[in-house]
Amino acid sequence: MEAFLKMENITKKFGEVSANKNINFSVAAGEVHTLLGENGAGKSTLMNILMGLYQPTAGQIYLRGEPVRIDSPSKAVKLGLGMVHQHFMLVEAMTVFENIILGVSKDHAVFIKKDRMKKEILALAARYSLDVEIDKPITEISVGAQQRVEILKALYRGAELLILDEPTAALTDLEVEGLFRIIRKLKKENKSVVFISHKMREVLEISDRITILRTGETVKTLKKEEADADGLANLMIGKELVLSDYKKVASSKEKVVSLNGVCYQKSSKHSGLNDVSLEVGKGEIVGIAGVDGNGQSQLAQLLTGVIGPESGEVFVKAERISKYAPEAFIMKNVAHIPEDRNKMGLIGNMTVTENLMLKRLKSDEISYGKGAFLRRRAMKQSAEKLKDKYDIRCASTEQETRNLSGGNQQKIILARELEENPDLLVAVHPTRGLDIGATQYVHDAMIASRDKGCGVVLISADFDEVLKLSDRIAVMFEGRIVGIYPGENPPIRDISLAMAGKVE
Amino acid sequence: MTTIWNATFISELLLSMIRMATPILIVAIAELYSEKAGLVNIGLDGIMAFGSLVGFLVSYITGNPYLGLFAGAFGGIAINMVYAVCTIQLGAEQIVYGMAINIFAPAIASFIYKIYFGISSSLISAQLMKPLPIPVLSHIPYVGDVLFNHTPIVYLAYLLVPLTYVFFNKTRAGLNYTAVGEYPKAAESLGINVIRTKYIASIICGFLAGLGGAYLTTCYISTYSDGVVSGRGFIALSAVIFGRWAPGGVLLAALLFGFTDALQLRLQVLNSGMPYQLLAMIPYLCTLFVLAFFGIKKAGPKANGKPYFKEER
Amino acid sequence: MKLRNQIIKIIVPILAILLSFLIGGILIAAIGGNPKEAFLYLLKGAFGSKANVGESFVKATPLIFTGLAATFAYRCGVFNLGAEGQFVMGAVVSVYIGTTVTGLPDALLITVSLICGAITGGLWGFIPGILKIWRGLNEMIVSIMLNYVAILFMGYLYSGPLREGSVPQTAAVTAKLMRLFGLSRMHIGIVIAVVLAGIIYYFMFYTDGGFKLRAVGLNSTAAAFNGFPVNRLMILSFVISGAIAGLGGSVELHGTQYRLMSGFGQGYGFDGVAIALIGQLNPIGTVLVAYLFAVLRTGATTMQVGTGMPTSVIDIIQALVIVFAVAGSAFVNLPKVRQFIVGASFPENPLKRKKNTPDAIEKGVGES
Repeated sequence: MEAFLKMENITKKFGEVSANKNINFSVAAGEVHTLLGENGAGKSTLMNILMGLYQPTAGQIYLRGEPVRIDSPSKAVKLGLGMVHQHFMLVEAMTVFENIILGVSKDHAVFIKKDRMKKEILALAARYSLDVEIDKPITEISVGAQQRVEILKALYRGAELLILDEPTAALTDLEVEGLFRIIRKLKKENKSVVFISHKMREVLEISDRITILRTGETVKTLKKEEADADGLANLMIGKELVLSDYKKVASSKEKVVSLNGVCYQKSSKHSGLNDVSLEVGKGEIVGIAGVDGNGQSQLAQLLTGVIGPESGEVFVKAERISKYAPEAFIMKNVAHIPEDRNKMGLIGNMTVTENLMLKRLKSDEISYGKGAFLRRRAMKQSAEKLKDKYDIRCASTEQETRNLSGGNQQKIILARELEENPDLLVAVHPTRGLDIGATQYVHDAMIASRDKGCGVVLISADFDEVLKLSDRIAVMFEGRIVGIYPGENPPIRDISLAMAGKVE
Repeated sequence: MTTIWNATFISELLLSMIRMATPILIVAIAELYSEKAGLVNIGLDGIMAFGSLVGFLVSYITGNPYLGLFAGAFGGIAINMVYAVCTIQLGAEQIVYGMAINIFAPAIASFIYKIYFGISSSLISAQLMKPLPIPVLSHIPYVGDVLFNHTPIVYLAYLLVPLTYVFFNKTRAGLNYTAVGEYPKAAESLGINVIRTKYIASIICGFLAGLGGAYLTTCYISTYSDGVVSGRGFIALSAVIFGRWAPGGVLLAALLFGFTDALQLRLQVLNSGMPYQLLAMIPYLCTLFVLAFFGIKKAGPKANGKPYFKEER
Repeated sequence: MKLRNQIIKIIVPILAILLSFLIGGILIAAIGGNPKEAFLYLLKGAFGSKANVGESFVKATPLIFTGLAATFAYRCGVFNLGAEGQFVMGAVVSVYIGTTVTGLPDALLITVSLICGAITGGLWGFIPGILKIWRGLNEMIVSIMLNYVAILFMGYLYSGPLREGSVPQTAAVTAKLMRLFGLSRMHIGIVIAVVLAGIIYYFMFYTDGGFKLRAVGLNSTAAAFNGFPVNRLMILSFVISGAIAGLGGSVELHGTQYRLMSGFGQGYGFDGVAIALIGQLNPIGTVLVAYLFAVLRTGATTMQVGTGMPTSVIDIIQALVIVFAVAGSAFVNLPKVRQFIVGASFPENPLKRKKNTPDAIEKGVGES
């Protein structure tokens, strides 16, 4: 097979750090080639180089056998490359149609020729069976449809090679099947696809070849026939995969939190709660499984007092909540690992010390007169202790947290939230974007906290994480809890179906 | 008070409204172009001050208010380039830098005036631009005088509204431009040059804001004094918010603010017995009330006010 | 690293000041003056006599107040551009009290008057605060509009109801702040201002309230998630900011001007914002920068008389300082420059680097 794209010895350095080291990668016309690797393995960097967002420090790219220099995204588009980013590059204030034609300059017309362009787009959509409602605003279509818009957008620009970055992360099983049908169709039309993922099953189903990246280097390129899930996992992580060996525990009678028929913006399927009832006992982890955007964020916000229910009741430690405010929940010893640590968890421009002390300002350990005079030295000492205890790696506790890595930022939040031995911990995507070491650390800390008697609500889009940690698993779909399953020997098939909204 | 609402008063009032709304409209559209590309520019007052000085000076030297007007506009560009470089290239906080412009630009304007005319000069007048009545239309009773007997810049200002509407809603360039203010990363990934768009936005904004400032000293008052702008930049800013970032809305808002300004001026002229200071509060208080009643919560371009770096994570 | 950050915070404004003087000098030369001579006159004007030294403190006093007002609000993430209006309203109340209340000893009268001035300023600051929280209005626009309203209101008073004599101005208050050291008009107001700066410094960095306020200013979402009452803090910071400015107006009235007339308080609001920004939003920095501005202004008059250079040269230098200081702060915060600064602070240690690599990669290039 003649390679459509060939990337030769690509190296990219950010300051002293190499994100890509001598990577070789090629894709033939009509081939689906998967890039497999953990977070931070260098997949995105490599693709950003290909799309002209970054310039490689060294190396050469060939397209159709010709050496090319891709110095801007528009150059990449001209060369027939298209990318569907994991976080869609769609302008929410615009319609599907406007998003598709954005930035296109096929002819040099000043005005938008709506009718003609629509016809072209619809023809293209029909050819690849991409079902989209062209006049709807982006905000009114589903995630799956948004993805189809992204694909259509790339095809409309004449893409010969499509990069799909973690395309299945936010999709239901059903939608994934639809996506795979589209990918097969693309193959048939002799388009090339780069598929980025870390989900073995999907990778094995759709790929022709698989290249594994680890810490910025190519580990190996395999043909589909040569690959199996265990082998890929080992190559990807670089060691034998450790599966869950946390002990699962039974639910305690003593409840730390109970929700009773709670509703919040019921009609909104993606950001509402519809008659949610849930109980979490002392010393157990209840995992909330589900595809992102089925009300999980709202559940987390409700459990931490950021929002209040429109109807229904919430009891924390058997006491009915009357005031919904974060401070009220904090008073009740509810801890929170929020979904976006930079936006909600940390104050990036404050120091490690200050961030660690956020919730203890009135404590006698660090202040005189209940916060009337903060003892800077005591704060620092206390922070140093936490830094060692939670293995926070920073040059100094006087460093601003925005300069730290995601793992260390998360450890600061853990230290702050868990140090006070909370009764309830609400953890939302606690390991999102973390490397393997940090992930393991977070998991251990949550289990340790559970074993101390803390009730934990774990909300995660990472199904494996939910399976690994949860003592019970609740599945959310369109704002409802559609099923609760045991964490010990969980019925994976049933849970998967429930996540797609199918419950017998 | 009832007797003053006669035909002459009303037509005078409306004429004055159109005239007073003009600088606010021009400058509000300047801000619209800036914000649509994600740049909140609160330095409008400063740019206007500089534009009014340059406009006055050139008009005084050459005797040609048209030249003055254009010179003022280019003065506006020059000042706004300082803002552009610092916010686009250095990622300086836009609000803070806008404030810096509000302090910096009037200081330069005042300095130049004093250097040119000496430290203790009396008020110096320059030629004002003459109205250019539009043939035929200006003879329509009542309406003709109100709408079609103005300086050319007034027509231009009102022409800007449909032009801007067409640009943002009907052209490819306008769509791309909007994307920069909404989601610059997406725009960049589609091959739209975000940085260049922002610079273009700053040039347009500087040009129009400078023009709006120069209007004051070439078409409205024949003298320059410090503080001639008197908050019109901020009123224009309110007009953009109140007009919901749409050209038509901005026009309505500018007319409303122009009306309040015209009203207080007319009432002053009529000598109704009200102290002029209390009348002069009307436009400011109206702006507050209008915003408080209608200008609810945030809207506008999503990436407004956020710095954009190319190799951002 | 903290130390390095702090050094940069000090170096940036100092460089901005030096650069501005350089450009100011060039400007003077360009219009036919002698920069060296002009700056010498400037120094002479500021420090040449006891009276001039005192005059600088007199000029610094209101600037410190409005500078602190801007600092306080901005630390909580709200922009108070209305210090001028709050300053004026404080003075308006004080002139009313000072000219109508009789039978109280001066000290008591002034105390009452200053408190009332602060309260009025606080109320004037409450309006943009509450409108921001309640109606989502842009607090900058509101506070600017209120400036014009306050100034016009003052104008109405001194040319109408409170007018004394043929000139449009009010009567003078009789209760005056104590003069200090016989240095010209220097009065105890400067002490009040500096003590206030100290109190604010203590509040900001050594109390839980100040901590929360700063947290809200830096990241209001995270502050809310951590249980801080964001809205209440924002309104509070506006009220306190307004009260500081209002107090400044009262002090200016009782200490320096004694009466209201055209131009009272003019420009102090924006000056305060500039001073706060150059002073890196630090109360102590604010005091220093306000003093510098005052020194420049005192010297400027002598310079104008001595060399014929207009005082607005000084305005330009001040304006340039703000332009450079803000640009400079942004510059050192650019990711690349920051990396250079931070990177340079660590001697190369290959072992340590290697250990940190995966984290660093994730940070540098991680997927979103």
